[in-house]
Amino acid sequence: MIPFLAVVKKELWSVYRDRTILIAVLIQLFIASFSSGLLLGVLSLYDADTIMQSGSVQIKIGLVGPAGNPLEALMQESGLQVFPYATLAEAQSAFYQNQVNAVVLIPPGIQNTAEIKLYLPDSDAISSIIRMVIQGPLKKYENVLRGQNGIDVRYTDLKGKPSTSFEFVYSVLLPMLMFFPAFVAGSMSIDSFTEELENNTMQTLLSAPLSVNGMIGAKIVSAVIISNFQCMAWLALMQLNGIVIQNVGWILLLALIVAGLTSTAAMLGAVFLKDRERSQFIYSLMLLAATGVGTLLNLSPITTISRLGIGDYYTNGWNVALFGVLLAGLTLLLLKTSRRVIV
Amino acid sequence: MHQILVIAWREMTRLRKRFGGSASPIAVVLLLAALGLSVFTLRNSVALGSGLYRVAVSGDVPAFQDSRFSVFHTDPAEGKALLDQHAVDVWVDGAQVQARDDDRSLFAVRALRQDLEVQELERIGGAYAPGVAFPLKVGINYFGPAPAAGQGATPSSRPEELIIPSLTPPPAPFTQVLVSMFYVLPITFISIFFTSSFMDEKVNRRLSILLSAPITPFQIIMGKMLPYASFALLTTALIAWLTHTNVLLALAIFAPTILFIFAIYLMVPLLYRTFKDTTFIAMLVTTLTSAYLVFPAMFTNTNDLAYISPLTLAVKMYRNEPFGWREYLFPSLPMAAIFGMAMFAGTRMLNEEYLMGYKPITRKLTDAIYLMMAHVSPYLSVPLWSLLVIPGVYMAQVVFLAFATNLPLRILLAAVLAAAALVEEVVKSIGIVVLAGHGQVKSTRALLALAFLSALGFLLGEKLLLLVSLSVVQQAPAAGALFGAGVFLLIPLAAHFIFTGAVTFLRVKARWPYALALGVGTLAHFIYNWVVTRGGL
Repeated sequence: MIPFLAVVKKELWSVYRDRTILIAVLIQLFIASFSSGLLLGVLSLYDADTIMQSGSVQIKIGLVGPAGNPLEALMQESGLQVFPYATLAEAQSAFYQNQVNAVVLIPPGIQNTAEIKLYLPDSDAISSIIRMVIQGPLKKYENVLRGQNGIDVRYTDLKGKPSTSFEFVYSVLLPMLMFFPAFVAGSMSIDSFTEELENNTMQTLLSAPLSVNGMIGAKIVSAVIISNFQCMAWLALMQLNGIVIQNVGWILLLALIVAGLTSTAAMLGAVFLKDRERSQFIYSLMLLAATGVGTLLNLSPITTISRLGIGDYYTNGWNVALFGVLLAGLTLLLLKTSRRVIV
Repeated sequence: MHQILVIAWREMTRLRKRFGGSASPIAVVLLLAALGLSVFTLRNSVALGSGLYRVAVSGDVPAFQDSRFSVFHTDPAEGKALLDQHAVDVWVDGAQVQARDDDRSLFAVRALRQDLEVQELERIGGAYAPGVAFPLKVGINYFGPAPAAGQGATPSSRPEELIIPSLTPPPAPFTQVLVSMFYVLPITFISIFFTSSFMDEKVNRRLSILLSAPITPFQIIMGKMLPYASFALLTTALIAWLTHTNVLLALAIFAPTILFIFAIYLMVPLLYRTFKDTTFIAMLVTTLTSAYLVFPAMFTNTNDLAYISPLTLAVKMYRNEPFGWREYLFPSLPMAAIFGMAMFAGTRMLNEEYLMGYKPITRKLTDAIYLMMAHVSPYLSVPLWSLLVIPGVYMAQVVFLAFATNLPLRILLAAVLAAAALVEEVVKSIGIVVLAGHGQVKSTRALLALAFLSALGFLLGEKLLLLVSLSVVQQAPAAGALFGAGVFLLIPLAAHFIFTGAVTFLRVKARWPYALALGVGTLAHFIYNWVVTRGGL
């Protein structure tokens, strides 16, 4: 036991000494804030509700056509300002005097079908925002016309709340922060193992009272310890930011098991290939493949962790235990094959 | 040239041997198959939040296609009970959607709305004649540019586009951005192989043998890079061909990007000390380059600053929109410049003593800078350094901007300005500090002269860049803020000189720690920037 702990201690110390682990932590911070900034900031530019809610954008639409058309009310309802004009020429000159941003032309005598025209400014930036915002009223108007044609469209009155941010936090941010350290742990296991091989220090290490399995196990354990420390820090940070996370204990255990899975799988590859270049390549391919297969079999730790985080009724420790079984199997496989290293 | 080809050929042989063992090709094929499978399965579930919502369904309800929903089929009584005990988020009973009024349930309703809307359209489209099912058509037209006084309006050259609102989503650039990202992924993968080849040679000391042969470091780097770069070009051409776009145009757009990514990855094997370093540095490089490439492209057609990234050009290419030489050179020139700089650094750093030493990473970096600057007079190398790192500074600032986007707007400006000030102060002073550390600069007079030259070189590069970008970017106050909007060149020159002079003096003469000296300079520079952007100067 003592030599085992000594190797764990040495590994942790070398990570601390190199300081480059800080880069990995920084990257996670970067990706987390970058993706949330991107998703919540930029995506909202493409979401009509958010554009109108922010109130900073006042879009004025010139309307040419018979009075009392339902589209007029629908546009006002969604927050657009509507100004009626008698002819297109008048509306156009209002456009050039910056009194309206766009013009809608509705021909007279609409019965059950309509072909209207939308005149937009030439600038792509402004016209795409206007198209984004006017999309909602147009769709509703389409449903009004469908109603006149005797078609009953269901589910048109659903409201709800914009869910992007909720979905992002629990299905992207939480899994990413919990599993990225695991991904790094796998890479680190390969590095520290192949480095011993390529620097010819493996034999020296094994002359200590320590088996191959003990040495490999110590390297995996230290990688997992580092990754779980990061997970704890991220969870604390998220809670500090006011994000409610349920089942914290199970989530940490799942993160631990997944870090164990990636490190063991990575080590398995390294034991067979015995050099860094190929091991890392195969490891990244394995990660991608495992993601795909997991999704296919409906057994993805990503789904499990987001369900744990929101406190899903049907998700509990048993779902975590499933991955534990997987880890036990993989560990057994590694223990059986690790002797390849010394032959 | 012959030498380069010989090394390139040797590199190919090495790669063949490495991946030509008996078992590994089978493993690679198997894994690639699994990879294809995963791409295939993930294709349908790109929406985030797979399995996040639970929905109880009873009666005649369309089958959900969105992977966000896990569906239970129940009878109406049980559906209500499940909803009440928070076991499901929404209960769809025929045409009725029942929800609780807590957040999670309302989020689910919104997500449900998107999916059900599509389902209903499919149902209506199938059951009724097209003219009745889609009764509204909208012709999209564009007003031309504002007419001159006394003349009629000029019609826009664009033809009318006829859309059906419920079937035509408004244009968003993301699909094309995603396609453009497909190009970057293989390039990154290939350059990782380039990196590990270098490391391999370094570990088994073959690089030392190569260095003792009568060839230059430049030939070694070029020779080793050639096969990988050609392969990256080939992949680019292949992707362009597969996605039915102009192959030559795609090659022209991505060639500078390939050079840039290879240049960055060249630094990894030269700087690392242990294998773990490589992993971390490579991860950092991948993240930063993808942020640099992808982030600006998100703003294609909404902001001219998008042209910073060559992916914007690719997005334009996929939309069949034209762009000119200036738009092409705007992202490409800085990338080519970075490549040139990295090649120069590489040839200087490729010596046995530098490669094999274990030192703190900061020491390793300063040594690299010393190696680049030490072979000519400081009075030439210092201003040249400040001038030539401008593209790097510019890229770093774009990444900062990307990083800061999630901050509130007020803090965003301050944070970006502070980060920009820090980077500028580092690049202007580091050369002088390193040279002084090696005893090449001693007197206070020399120190101040060098600080002045460094400021001059930096300002020259900065204004040169501003000149180039102003011809492309018209509506970019952010660019003005980042690159100094001062009209009178003397004030910025004096400011740069004072900050750099202070930092180097505090470090070299007053013996302050570099971080502290840098902090003082950055603070002063930040206040100056802040005043300038507030319109004070």
